[in-house]
Amino acid sequence: MARFANAKAPFVRLSEEKGKDTKTIMRDFGIGLSLVVLFAWFKNGILVYVNGDCTFLEMIYPMVFILLAGIMAVVMEAIYFYLTNPEAKTMKGLKKSLSTSYGFVPGVILALILPLYTPIWVLMFGVFMTTIVGKMLFGGFGNNIFNPALIGNIAIMFTLYGVVLAAGGFMNPSEVVIDAYAGATPLTLFSQLRTINYDALVAPYGSLWNFFFGTIPGTIGETSALVILIAYVWFVIRKVIKWFTPLIFIGVVFLLTWLIGIVNGEAGLWFPLYGILSGGLMYGAVFMSTEPVTTPRNPLGKVFFALFLGALTVLFRYIGVFPEGVATAIIVMNIFTMPIDKSTAMIRSSGLNKKTIVPFLMMVILLIGIMVYAVMKSRNLYTLAVLMIGGWF
Amino acid sequence: MLLKKVKGIHIEGRKSMSKSKHIYQDVHPQFVYIHLLQQTSPLKKMCEVGDHVLVGQTVAKREGFGEMPIHSSVSGTVTAFKKVWHSSGKMVEAIEIENDLKYKNDPSVVKEAHPDSLTKEQLVLKMKEAGLSGLGGAGFPTYVKYMSKSEIHTVIINAVECEPYLTCDLALFKIAPEKVLKGLKYFMNAIGAKKGIIGYKKYNHEYPDLINPLLKDFPNISLHPVKDVYPAGWEKYLVEQITGKTYSRLPAEAGVIVDNLATAMVFADVVENNMPLIKRAITITGEGIKHPQNFYVPIGTKVSDLVHIAGGYEKGLDPAKALYIAGGPMTGRAILIDDLIVNDTLGGVIVKPLPEEKNHPACLGCGKCSDVCPVFLAPTEIQRAFEMKDVESIKNLSADKCIACGLCSHICPSHIEITDYVVRAKDLLRKGA
Repeated sequence: MARFANAKAPFVRLSEEKGKDTKTIMRDFGIGLSLVVLFAWFKNGILVYVNGDCTFLEMIYPMVFILLAGIMAVVMEAIYFYLTNPEAKTMKGLKKSLSTSYGFVPGVILALILPLYTPIWVLMFGVFMTTIVGKMLFGGFGNNIFNPALIGNIAIMFTLYGVVLAAGGFMNPSEVVIDAYAGATPLTLFSQLRTINYDALVAPYGSLWNFFFGTIPGTIGETSALVILIAYVWFVIRKVIKWFTPLIFIGVVFLLTWLIGIVNGEAGLWFPLYGILSGGLMYGAVFMSTEPVTTPRNPLGKVFFALFLGALTVLFRYIGVFPEGVATAIIVMNIFTMPIDKSTAMIRSSGLNKKTIVPFLMMVILLIGIMVYAVMKSRNLYTLAVLMIGGWF
Repeated sequence: MLLKKVKGIHIEGRKSMSKSKHIYQDVHPQFVYIHLLQQTSPLKKMCEVGDHVLVGQTVAKREGFGEMPIHSSVSGTVTAFKKVWHSSGKMVEAIEIENDLKYKNDPSVVKEAHPDSLTKEQLVLKMKEAGLSGLGGAGFPTYVKYMSKSEIHTVIINAVECEPYLTCDLALFKIAPEKVLKGLKYFMNAIGAKKGIIGYKKYNHEYPDLINPLLKDFPNISLHPVKDVYPAGWEKYLVEQITGKTYSRLPAEAGVIVDNLATAMVFADVVENNMPLIKRAITITGEGIKHPQNFYVPIGTKVSDLVHIAGGYEKGLDPAKALYIAGGPMTGRAILIDDLIVNDTLGGVIVKPLPEEKNHPACLGCGKCSDVCPVFLAPTEIQRAFEMKDVESIKNLSADKCIACGLCSHICPSHIEITDYVVRAKDLLRKGA
């Protein structure tokens, strides 16, 4: 007779096999992310250097900036672990803690949604907010409620936006000399003009193809829809993300923007396309709305989450203080991840019944409400709405 | 609905170790141990120490719901009552019978002259008297299903065997394919069903190869292949795949009864020879066994004898760093001491080394457990409710629907015991309610 080890069923697990565990998911995510990093470097460094608008050192700068954010995040996490976790006092324990915390990733994600000329000390503040406040104080990897990178991003936007703009802001050396840009990213321009006019919105940046390829001003990594689409396809193939979340998110923004165009007398498809290609929507949809920790876990929850994100993004773009709505929308929806997760889990497992119908209807009504409000708000349509409702009765 | 379709996932079969091996029947245990436990019901013993018993003689009885007799699997003398290991992971009282190796049958074991002319009631009574229970793993008394009041139009034989590693059903089938058809025919007679369908996994071509030539004698019986996914052998999945209908609690709601392949084969013997359930097929396999093999042995045989015949453990196997699994690898149980006894629901024993230790990160919330769940639960939500001992939420999240298939733990990239959480939540619900 021999004594055997104890374990719990099932005894065949993918996490025990090579290439099916969380490490692999994070690695695959890193590969997708690095595509965006490389494009960011290409656009803000290499291309500028080829055009002869910067020195060699300045060419390397964007890459350094992004990597620095990642490294700072890891260092800050290491210090945090060292101070709070008795097991991490030794080098080995520290390594173990860091290897399951993936601190590098949120740092890089943050860097990619910052303007190129964010001062390093501002970046440091952002990384601190990201990794310590946004992640470690919530209990570390897997326990954070808000998307850490967005916490950092919003902290900078709310407090040091002026400093960032004063230091150079969004424009890389090649872009800053183009008069047509007038120092504004497409969404900034839109928030200033508040008009739906192809010549005013798209023409300064060339055509929508430039939006698609990403050769327009914006934050470091968010501009290229093409590169983000490639990363999306990679993620879907490798099953890092659910394929429908970004599609629903972008689809809702597309439809709502189209509707807004129509009620404002512009039925052309260029406007919704402009709506989804300008700003950080693509990046947010693929890299942030799918971030597993802070978004609902069951598929139905993901669907609702994405629908709300789309509606809120459009709403915030029209009524928010900032030109961009994606970041705020995701942060707001992060708060509701848990209730959405729970109610959709109930709906999914037991169907619509007495207990689940109320949260379901609430979500649907809220969703429609936000959408209608966003469309109306786009051109003070209250009068029109009143007229319509009057006519209906 | 896009989000509500049971797809199952493909799991590497690892069946090749024992699949091609012939079933080994020449096992003569010195002692057999009949557990005084069937499913979760304790049995009443019907013999005393010193009694001489025959093959097929009643030695114990299940009482209350699902009452039926349990029989001796060998002839010999009752030598003791003692506690032995059961596949549920507990020590259970058992009847120890010393085998006299004569295998003398009980007088009740006689050949039936006209098995085809038996009435429904007679067939159901035979099931009960034979102590026939589901050999697929649940051990549910078969006759209870056949007392169903609903109209049953189809009997489905579950030959899917979707658990990795296990091959005992296939091996048993290969020695007597006609028995499956006979058993199925009698099952259909017992409930007045018009159709009989054998569901098997697509890649197991042995089923059509061996059954198709025999089908001309068995009208109304057909074969139905299912995909190579887990849990394809789950009753509800099988019924859905074959009939396109679904049900909430019992297959009878869809007009269907599902029985395991081995149960049907035993039933053929029960009807034709009045031989009760005394033997079962079992696979001894795993990376830790030298020559993995299938066996057809008297219930109550020591598994260690079978392991011995299978060449023993692989050289250099350190038991402290290996698992000894009773049942399939997805739903089975780790047994701490390799002193297990074959019981009616034990379809396999798997010995395999523990996987390398890895440093697993926390749950990252990928939601894969929700994706694969065949009953559409949200295991992470149930875990959260369980940790807060929130019985109300556990109930609202329908934890009671869990079938403990193990898929959520299987797919979890962070090696979280998520199935265990749900099962414990289910227990809490049962106790709380």
